[in-house]
Amino acid sequence: MLEGAKSIGAGAATIASAGAAIGIGNVFSSLIHSVARNPSLAKQSFGYAILGFALTEAIALFAPMMAFLILFVF
Amino acid sequence: MNQIGLVAQSPLDQFEIVPLIPMNIGNFYFSFTNPSLFMLLTLSFFLLLIHFITKKGGGNLVPNAWQSLVELLYDFVLNLVKEQIGGLSGNVKQMFFPCILVTFLFLLFCNLQGMIPYSFTVTSHFLITLALSFSIFIGITIVGFQRHGLHFFSFLLPAGVPLPLAPFLVLLELISYCFRALSLGIRLFANMMAGHSLVKILSGFAWTMLCMNEIFYFIGALGPLFIVLALTGLELGVAILQAYVFTILICIYLNDAINLH
Repeated sequence: MLEGAKSIGAGAATIASAGAAIGIGNVFSSLIHSVARNPSLAKQSFGYAILGFALTEAIALFAPMMAFLILFVF
Repeated sequence: MNQIGLVAQSPLDQFEIVPLIPMNIGNFYFSFTNPSLFMLLTLSFFLLLIHFITKKGGGNLVPNAWQSLVELLYDFVLNLVKEQIGGLSGNVKQMFFPCILVTFLFLLFCNLQGMIPYSFTVTSHFLITLALSFSIFIGITIVGFQRHGLHFFSFLLPAGVPLPLAPFLVLLELISYCFRALSLGIRLFANMMAGHSLVKILSGFAWTMLCMNEIFYFIGALGPLFIVLALTGLELGVAILQAYVFTILICIYLNDAINLH
């Protein structure tokens, strides 16, 4: 019973990846948009995009972290 | 069936802390553990690197490969500090630069060292990243109070806010300000831990399939193997990127504390 509930909980925790996927897609679509509008700023905006990607990805990693916690710690 | 490597192992086993030299001072658990060992290794690595390069009073005029590496890292952080912290003269910025450089180098070397198989990732522990982020956060708050005195509290209230909204906004800003310390540490820890567990789980898959002793599985194992390879590359990127993100966020927070907003 507990095992099943754990698996369901861990699986449910990964739903959060959907949000992260949207976020990462958004970051890079904005990068492409801005570079298409102003190619001279490509280098600078790429730096910002990587920073934004890292921040978004970090939030995304909270989901597997919760899954691991549910599966292995409790 | 071949049983090698099929021993059920939790992917979190790699983060286990083992006391190498058990010690107890009074009631304190003061052992020399494997994180201590690897932190010591990290420190000695970059201190040795920098020592050997600046040995003859500042290196060569024409740098060799190692010296260019150190110069690259130094320049990178220097530019970061110059760009992110505004409104100060160069000399005052220099005050913060050593701390930021050492933080960056420490995190970079810890993260990269963790990528070596069978080594230990120091930054995949809550305790270490949170200790780092909280001490830096407290330092930044002290810098803020030092520069602005009690006027630093105006940080909590953006200019031009209608008075009825003020109590809520102050509360919100206070929470978000305090949460910065937490999120700074958790971001690094979660990245390192999740990444390493993922690599471990996938390599476990590949290994299990290889051990099935059937030609179909043997070919099938190449899939997970290449994913592991790609993921290791990604992890290397993440290791560098997270050190960078940690550093740039410190700079941004420091800039907030110095210039208010």
